[in-house]
Amino acid sequence: MDTRKLNRRQAVSLLGGAAAVGAAGPAFGQTEPPKPAQIVVNHSGGSMGTAMRKAFFNGFEKKYGIRVVETSPADFGKLRAMVESGNVEWDITEIGGQDAIRATKLGLVEKIDGKIVDRSGYPEKVRTDFVFASSVYTTIIGYRTDVFKNGTQPKSWADWWDTKKFPGARSMRNHPTDNLEFALIADGVPMDKIYPIDFDRAFKKLDQIKPAVTVWWSTGQQPAQLLLDKEVVLATGWNGRFYDIIKKGAPVAIEWNEGALKQGSFVIPKGAKNPYWANKMLAEMSVPQQQAVYATELGYPGLNLESLKYVDDKVKPFLPTQYIDKQFWIDDAWYAENGNKAIELWNAWMLKKA
Amino acid sequence: MSMRGFWPAVPALLLLFFFFLFPVVRMLGFSLEGGSFDWYAKALGEGLYLRVFWNTFEIALLVTFFCLLLGYPLGFLMATTTPLWATVGFIFVLLPLWTSVLVRTYAWMVLLGRNGVFNRLLIDAGIVEDPLPLLHNFTGVMIGMVHVLLPYMVLPVYGAVRRLDPAIVAAAEGLGASSWRIFWRIYLPLTLNGIFAGAVIVFVLSLGFYITPALLGGGRVIMIAVLIEQQVRETLNWPFAAALSAVLLAFTFAVYALAQRFTRPQETA
Repeated sequence: MDTRKLNRRQAVSLLGGAAAVGAAGPAFGQTEPPKPAQIVVNHSGGSMGTAMRKAFFNGFEKKYGIRVVETSPADFGKLRAMVESGNVEWDITEIGGQDAIRATKLGLVEKIDGKIVDRSGYPEKVRTDFVFASSVYTTIIGYRTDVFKNGTQPKSWADWWDTKKFPGARSMRNHPTDNLEFALIADGVPMDKIYPIDFDRAFKKLDQIKPAVTVWWSTGQQPAQLLLDKEVVLATGWNGRFYDIIKKGAPVAIEWNEGALKQGSFVIPKGAKNPYWANKMLAEMSVPQQQAVYATELGYPGLNLESLKYVDDKVKPFLPTQYIDKQFWIDDAWYAENGNKAIELWNAWMLKKA
Repeated sequence: MSMRGFWPAVPALLLLFFFFLFPVVRMLGFSLEGGSFDWYAKALGEGLYLRVFWNTFEIALLVTFFCLLLGYPLGFLMATTTPLWATVGFIFVLLPLWTSVLVRTYAWMVLLGRNGVFNRLLIDAGIVEDPLPLLHNFTGVMIGMVHVLLPYMVLPVYGAVRRLDPAIVAAAEGLGASSWRIFWRIYLPLTLNGIFAGAVIVFVLSLGFYITPALLGGGRVIMIAVLIEQQVRETLNWPFAAALSAVLLAFTFAVYALAQRFTRPQETA
């Protein structure tokens, strides 16, 4: 099946090549625009770049003979500046969930070509016109196993807030997203009743945990490093970063309960130089076997549900999709509306003397 | 300036115009979106932003002070010692300058942490019992920023001391002045230009610091650049980002003008 597909693609690309070299006349079937020497993929960088190269870029380069140039980080401001100035350097870019919604509203992104990108294996609700859902990740609790032995770790946000029963320095993200939700859950709000967020209630609860949080982290690598250095014994963080150090033998484990699920997304900026090849890249990123490679590498499963079939059983316990029932989804639509307000309140709260 | 001296400077002036002046004017235009001063009212009227401006200036002043405290003796020493030692000094001062700020910031995290090199040494030596809080607070930010900015103080001081005519010092010595008196009456006033140049560079660079405070301050030390970055990249409120930047620019100019007035009498002395 896979080889047949490959052959078809090769055939199409050969045709495209022929069209580009000589024939100006109409080619039969689907015509392919001329091949650029390279396309530019912008992503958040770090180990994610390495994994994407292994799972998607190498295959793409081999298949089409187009070099994939990587830039980072994902930057909403830059995306807007590029589109508005008409100088779009990226062919596709990673984008945060709420930013994807705002970018769509602002008309900063191209529609995804359903004829090129096959998302039939995706859950219905993530098959949106403008946004390509690339993976799932979650913000959960990472803890030192030498401090919390044999399942004595905090297992809920109420536990996380209970500094008497679970003493020790903590680290949380320096951002309202996740933390407002965690505070409300700790305060007794059921996971399906979090939105719309009650700011007063959330910040009041956050006041209680503030003294126990020694580091408010700002880069994804920080919580993993803080746990490794035993700078803190508990940290919230993205599952892939913990997975990475656990794989390497760190005395760290993950508590998945009540984690905050998010969707990693990619978009094609409006006015991208090679929209056709950008769609081809997204097509490459939707192939289940390749998503399985990516998930194994980083712990972030793709949204092609078939991809799980190709993941080793040893890796499955580290994938957030295994625990969806005990977690909740961050409401990107709510943040697209209220995110700015949340950030302002967060800054003010952070400046407040504890 | 004669016209003959003017023409060779044209490329540089054009460069400054297109890549500095023009963007700054554009930015000011952004901040006055719709011809209103609303964004300035927000920047100057809301306690949050004033607090952060104040924090930023406080940090920049302290960093400048510590850089001067450490940088002056070092620059002085390098200018007056043998060429070999001066070279060694230069290597130590310049090498970090060529290393990425991010790398240096992470290096400090390794050194200053609760289980970091410093704390382990101190505990092993029995000097302290519990690890000192050197990281993820104000102290960490100070150490990191002073380290990054120290060369900008050392180099102007070095230059100023080198420019000083040794005959003046020799004359003072010949007339029996104590070394303390030579320092106060000759070195200090005549190197004030270097001090001023270094202090201004350090101060102005401090104002825009972003990565170091975010990583070494544990998130609690908030400088204005962090908020501006947030407005540009996250909330996409560019007019407000422009207004905050303009206020920062105005404050910076004000400080600069004040400092210049303050040092002028000695400058011409």
